[in-house]
Amino acid sequence: MARTLNELRPVYVVGIGWHRYQNPGETPYVALGLTAIREALADARIEWPAVESSYVATALLGMASGRQMLRHLGASGAPLVHIENASASGSTAFRHACIEVASGISDVALAIGVDKRNPVRRSDTGIDHLADDAIVPFTHFALLTNEYASRHRVPVDDIARVAVKNHRNGAKNPNAQRQQERTLAEVLGGKKVSGSLTALQCTPVGEGAAAVIVASDEGIRRHGINPDRAVRVTASVGRSERVYPPGVGFDAALTRETVELALAEAKRSAHELDIIELHDAFTVEELHYIESIGLCPEGHGIAMLKEGALDIGGRCAVNPSGGLIAMGHPIGPTGVGQIGEIVMQLRGEAGPRQHRDALVGLAHMVGVGAVCYVHILERCR
Amino acid sequence: MQPIKLLKSQLYSEDPGAGRPADPILQGGRCRCGYVFFPMQVYGCERCGSRGNALTPQPLSTRGTLLASALVHLHADKSRPAPFTIVKVALDDGPVVRTLLADDSCDIVPGQRMTAKLVSLQRDDGETVFDLRFVAAG
Ligand SMILES: [Zn+2]
Repeated sequence: MARTLNELRPVYVVGIGWHRYQNPGETPYVALGLTAIREALADARIEWPAVESSYVATALLGMASGRQMLRHLGASGAPLVHIENASASGSTAFRHACIEVASGISDVALAIGVDKRNPVRRSDTGIDHLADDAIVPFTHFALLTNEYASRHRVPVDDIARVAVKNHRNGAKNPNAQRQQERTLAEVLGGKKVSGSLTALQCTPVGEGAAAVIVASDEGIRRHGINPDRAVRVTASVGRSERVYPPGVGFDAALTRETVELALAEAKRSAHELDIIELHDAFTVEELHYIESIGLCPEGHGIAMLKEGALDIGGRCAVNPSGGLIAMGHPIGPTGVGQIGEIVMQLRGEAGPRQHRDALVGLAHMVGVGAVCYVHILERCR
Repeated sequence: MQPIKLLKSQLYSEDPGAGRPADPILQGGRCRCGYVFFPMQVYGCERCGSRGNALTPQPLSTRGTLLASALVHLHADKSRPAPFTIVKVALDDGPVVRTLLADDSCDIVPGQRMTAKLVSLQRDDGETVFDLRFVAAG
């Protein structure tokens, strides 16, 4: 009988670190990644040789970038592997680091996401389409925005309020690429991109790094890590798209089934979630996914947003980091950075972004393909 | 009469029963399991994994219902100068397809009936080719 992560030995996040997400610049990826890893090691109060295995999430750096970065920590001989899974690369790296520790193969493992903006290269499948070259991600989500607004009879200007909330959160996050509060008028008045989407409703192009160190009880004991700051991973689920009925949004349907499995694994319900970090590359996605997660029925997301239920201090803080829209989406780091934000919140160390009494957090990413990864983390009591 | 040159002849063709300019039909496929897909392919059925004789070509009508549209304001690929409108149409025959609207100035709303026609384009080399574009059904 197959088992879930939560049925194996316990896994904890014990260290988190970032290099700030920023506009594309001259900083080499090696410097971005090392900054995040050293911050995570310092946070865990362990030295590099304690790390028994590394998972390097990167979508845009090309072949074998990890070792050229990790060698500057002191070449320990420990195994490393690269993970590419589109937007979910970081989440996938985190999952496999957790699996390695939960299985007992390692006691301490690293998930590091690092990326620079480079051209995306996708291979020819041999199957042509009518006009796929004309439908880039922002147009895919512009279509979904039009569909959501029409189906639920909501003004597209209300959908843009997701960006106002997430820019407000990002303004308080020193690791966010965009750290500026924006009014609804500023969001709506910005450069038009596709359909009703404006530039401030879309995730920015950027670069950066995020690192997370996971450990077993044995690893925590052996390296003298403070167990009070450890956050337990109580669910890890990865799924890929199936065939859904015509017209059903695959990202939302895939999210729904992946989250259901994760909540069952953690023995939690959606209403017990205090923190959610989700894939809001475009404003409408946040509404789709909170509805798929089960915070509210389909079409009711706008009402929750407008009453402040999704704010820090509301019923459930959604994207307190600023999300992909404000914190940014450098691809490889994003899913790892979500875990870091949830850990900060559950430890009560999120400073001006702190959501009160945060006990349970959920991290969600989708990646083109489509794939979906969901993790649940809980404060140890 | 000479057949017209199509930009993507593996995806659509002129309906042989139609007049000139002919209405297009889409080159879809059907699996023995009942799944209807677009475009036709022989790798294997996305629903059940069957291949070979299980997959047969299935011409699809371009008639359908508009699910969504988006006027694209920015597009990096210079070969597709913005603005242009993308439509997402649920075909009466099953699959959902996305491509360009023939005329950006045409006012369309989700729920309305759509169909496709062949539109002439001037290629860089000066040759005229026809591509499939959607229009509001009359
Ligand atoms: Zn089949």
